[in-house]
Amino acid sequence: MADLVLNGVRKDYGKVRAVEGVDLTFANGELTALLGPSGCGKTTLLRMIAGLEDPSGGQIRLGNEDLTQTPAHKRKFGMVFQNFALFPHLNVRENVCYSLTIDGVPKAQAYEKAAELLDLVQLGAFADRRIGALSGGQRQRVAIARALAQEPEIFLLDEPMSALDANLREAMQVELRLLQQRLGITTIVVTHDQREAMTMADKIVVMSNGRVEQFGPPQNIYHKPENAFVADFIGRANFFDAVIDGGKITSAGLTLETDPLNFKAGSPVRVAIRPEKTMLDGDLPTGNRVPAEVTFVRDVGPVRDLHLSTPLGPVIVEYAIGEGARTFVVGEKCEVHFPPNALYVYPGTEARKAA
Amino acid sequence: MLGRIYMSLAALVVLLPIVVVSAAALNGGRSMLFPPKDPTFVRFAEFFLEEPVWRTAIMNSVLIAVGSAALAVLIAWPLAYGLWREQTKASQILAGLGAMPFALPPIVFGVGLGFFWGFGGGLGQIWSGIISHAILFLALPLVTISIGLQSIDRAHLDAAATMGATERIAFRTIILPQMMPYTASGFFFALVLSFNEFIVMFFVSSSAYTTVTLQIFNSLRNGFTPTMAVGAITFIGVSVAVFSLVARFGDLPRLMGADQSKT
Amino acid sequence: MSSIDASAAIADSDATKRRVNIAPRAAVLWALIIVFCVVPFALVLAISFGQKIEGAGWEWGFTFANYTRFFVGADYPETTTFLYLNRLYYSLQYAVIAAILAVITAFPFTYLMTRLSRAAQSRWLVFLLATMSLSEVFIVMGWDILLSNRSGLPMVLRETGMTQLLKDIGWFDQLREWGLANPRDVKFKTSSVATVLTMSYLVWPYAVILLYPALSRLDQSMVEAARTMGAGPWTVIRTVVLPSVRMPLIGTLFLLFVFLLGTYVAITVFADPSKQTLAISVYESVRGSTLNAPFGAAQAIILLITGGICLALGQMLVNRSGAQA
Repeated sequence: MADLVLNGVRKDYGKVRAVEGVDLTFANGELTALLGPSGCGKTTLLRMIAGLEDPSGGQIRLGNEDLTQTPAHKRKFGMVFQNFALFPHLNVRENVCYSLTIDGVPKAQAYEKAAELLDLVQLGAFADRRIGALSGGQRQRVAIARALAQEPEIFLLDEPMSALDANLREAMQVELRLLQQRLGITTIVVTHDQREAMTMADKIVVMSNGRVEQFGPPQNIYHKPENAFVADFIGRANFFDAVIDGGKITSAGLTLETDPLNFKAGSPVRVAIRPEKTMLDGDLPTGNRVPAEVTFVRDVGPVRDLHLSTPLGPVIVEYAIGEGARTFVVGEKCEVHFPPNALYVYPGTEARKAA
Repeated sequence: MLGRIYMSLAALVVLLPIVVVSAAALNGGRSMLFPPKDPTFVRFAEFFLEEPVWRTAIMNSVLIAVGSAALAVLIAWPLAYGLWREQTKASQILAGLGAMPFALPPIVFGVGLGFFWGFGGGLGQIWSGIISHAILFLALPLVTISIGLQSIDRAHLDAAATMGATERIAFRTIILPQMMPYTASGFFFALVLSFNEFIVMFFVSSSAYTTVTLQIFNSLRNGFTPTMAVGAITFIGVSVAVFSLVARFGDLPRLMGADQSKT
Repeated sequence: MSSIDASAAIADSDATKRRVNIAPRAAVLWALIIVFCVVPFALVLAISFGQKIEGAGWEWGFTFANYTRFFVGADYPETTTFLYLNRLYYSLQYAVIAAILAVITAFPFTYLMTRLSRAAQSRWLVFLLATMSLSEVFIVMGWDILLSNRSGLPMVLRETGMTQLLKDIGWFDQLREWGLANPRDVKFKTSSVATVLTMSYLVWPYAVILLYPALSRLDQSMVEAARTMGAGPWTVIRTVVLPSVRMPLIGTLFLLFVFLLGTYVAITVFADPSKQTLAISVYESVRGSTLNAPFGAAQAIILLITGGICLALGQMLVNRSGAQA
């Protein structure tokens, strides 16, 4: 098996560019999530990989084989669709067998394969059911089994969890990941849900406006967002504008230390900090303290969100509720600490565009 | 409550002439009376078995209805499919032209077809009657099949493609099986309307043959006979049976344009 | 870059190949539709400019004589008759009244029907479709029995003493004035009332079927919203339901009207000979006693144009009210 390589793949609809020059390598056996807000081009990219859309430019290769002009029915990448696209006029077994049936595989053999796959997705007893008689979760399993029946080289899933109830999603995410690891099949999942991406993926591709914003392992994406868009889209972040002043940044009369930076003095920057990386209460380290006033307190179970008003603008702070935790009331004055290594600094102009 | 009364009343008025015609068929004598005198089923035997005029008329009616409905479906399929698949101006115009004979006063189309077959040499032939009705009722399968095609989820076609189906295979394995109820509905709509159609057949048959409606119209001028009423009952029976079938196997409210979400 | 260009070229040649494959099929379809759907109408138009040959049918020509005859009579300018204009007038009159009557009565019925369960709707639709597909011939037959002097409604009125009652209270003379009574009895054959009623009956199921989509798609929460704001059932219908289905309502009216322009059997049976319509004289010219195909064709064309104008007018109305909405 070989890696799937995209080389400058782009897609134009008339004058609108849906996907611009994407270069990506999907490593053999890995699960990659295409993550982004709706309309970012992730589904279009997936459909181009499947062969359902012709790229306007660029190349799609599987190993050394150029697939760019290969139609979908010759690529035969198994795909699970958003609403599963199960054929209502066929029963579960016939759906799973579809690719084998149209290939002329003998019935007995096809049924055997279907039984095997249905066992794999724990639907062995449902082979004779009509599609209409299945629940959402069962439909998804059928769709997965159906896409795997042809033993595809690449397995594609377009928002596979979006048609499921919230409480079913997490369980299915784990199950799908385990299945994928067992089969060792190169898999690409489109999703707009970062938890879903982080649960399942070896690598995440964050996309916006048809561009790849960042590509890497989930933890990198979360802890080292390469630009303001990723910082904002993955997890939560507080943003404020600042100016580079020597090795530090200044904003609203406050000077904050950061990790070493590569900016010219005086250039505008946009700074992000995640709510859970701020510090409040107790013995704060010296420096990087910002005076604040509590404007709203939001208890959300294990943590408490404090909305603060600061000279830098509104800031949300995540404050763990543990033993000895302080209570805050609206109007209370306090100080919040921004650890230097938790401040992400991005060029100002680009940041403003993304925000 | 007021609503229910209104609906019942409307149904009653709609039923009234039908009931009267049906009852008149039971008349023992030769004249159409209501309520019937000396009720008997002799007329039914006359209609179906004994009188050759009626028997050939039935044969012709059935032949034309079945033939024209089948032909209409065959022509409507590529039209509807082209319309759905391409959605170009040309395919819209083509479908519009195909539906035109049904939308305009039938007497004009009847006159036109009279001339047309006069030149084409088909005047007074059964086959020209079949073609004429197929064209007249082309709009019906065109509409039902189009409605059906709109319900096809394009993701199904994509899914089929990712599993190795060419367009031809997808058509055969995905579209066609899901379209059977709609095709059948279109067929039966055309069938029933052809069965009952009068004016176009009147011009096209050129008195060379009769169908049941033509035969009834001919007798209508010479005064009614209860035997004709049997014909009417037959037609009502066929219509109700066919549409009940359509309702049973297809989604009739949806075919008639009801909102899909209200199930 | 060069590989992209090459692949684009391949895609192009693929597309042309596909077009070549589709082309013959499309050509056959176009030919079929034009020959069978367009040519018959074109023939009627062409023949309407032809001439009658005494005793031998007709020949091609290019004369407006048939149209002149339609509007002012054959012997114009010596004499002028408006016989055919008069028939067009009756065609329009019957069709307009019958269409309006059908829509007015079908509207509440359809509205009530769409409030029923899906299964009940299905049953009503079967019923309506079955009656809708019934031939004009049967319907006329049924009404003919119902309204005939010997066994129908007049007989019922006579036997129950209603006729006598009408005479006693003086309404009978009024009926005679309307043409609904002969000196002794109430009569419906022949009368405009019977004609219009039967025509209305003919299209009534069509009216329901045509109104059905719009009414069944009517957002029920809109009605409920109006109810919560204090609107009674009638106010709801007047202020919410009617305005939101105005376009389909007008559309239905025009479709029924055009359809009714061609009514034949009902007119022959129920209309007074002096009040017959264009459809009848088209038939008489083409197949009946007078045998003048070009003139019949000209009348058919005028019927068609009238229908066409009305449809266009209706479309315009619908568009205008659509733009306002």
